[in-house]
Amino acid sequence: MVMFATILIMSLLAVAVCAVAFGAATRGEAPRPGIQPERRLVLEPPRFFVSPAAAKAAEAPGVPVEMLLSEIERHVRLEQAAAEAYLDLPTRDSLHSRTESPLFH
Amino acid sequence: MANFQPDILRGLSDEEAARFMALGVPTSLPSGHTLFRLGAEADRAYLVLRGRIALTLPIQLRGVEEDVLVEEKMPGETVGWSGLVPPHRFTLNATAPIASELVGFSRAAVLDHFTAHPGVGHTVTRNLATVIGHRLQVFQTMWLREMQRAVDHRYA
Repeated sequence: MVMFATILIMSLLAVAVCAVAFGAATRGEAPRPGIQPERRLVLEPPRFFVSPAAAKAAEAPGVPVEMLLSEIERHVRLEQAAAEAYLDLPTRDSLHSRTESPLFH
Repeated sequence: MANFQPDILRGLSDEEAARFMALGVPTSLPSGHTLFRLGAEADRAYLVLRGRIALTLPIQLRGVEEDVLVEEKMPGETVGWSGLVPPHRFTLNATAPIASELVGFSRAAVLDHFTAHPGVGHTVTRNLATVIGHRLQVFQTMWLREMQRAVDHRYA
């Protein structure tokens, strides 16, 4: 009987210790009213004038960055010329006219 | 002054143009030097007199940021009109690929001049609107062409 009572008391004591420890561990995590966690705006890196073809070319191994830059700049020049041509004489065909851009050949 | 008619002075008499040019501060840029950087506060616009100015935008190539040339400004052309148009922040990088000479017009000086000479203000503002409008139309067209290709690529 004494042994049974000892085991029972020890078990209750262990449960109580666990409950206190759990309460202490989780108390700090409860959100406090009025204080919002800091929201961080994550911006993607700028990708001006990067078509899917250009993105694929940029991933191509072994191609020097200087060559990629040169191709992109040639693409921009050709696109600008095409845009100027469209503005001189706007038509549906000239809006989407094809160029000799290296990014599409 | 070089022998050409600057784009923002079209329609002004010689006397009006000379008075406006007198507002400017000569600026020399050695080859490779920066005129302004994207995001910087813009308090003046420039007129290219000699050389040329390269306008670039940043692009990520293999995780490294590189500047890509998007436009070049030649003698007689205006650069940095963000100095005159709110929110007065430069939206491109401007560098001189070769030694260049410009005239810088501070916003305060230009606005004061416009107040004193409304006719000049009207003409210069109209010219500036033409420059800005052309940039808008060209880039709008370029954007639409890229958008069409992105759509073709995505839904082909």
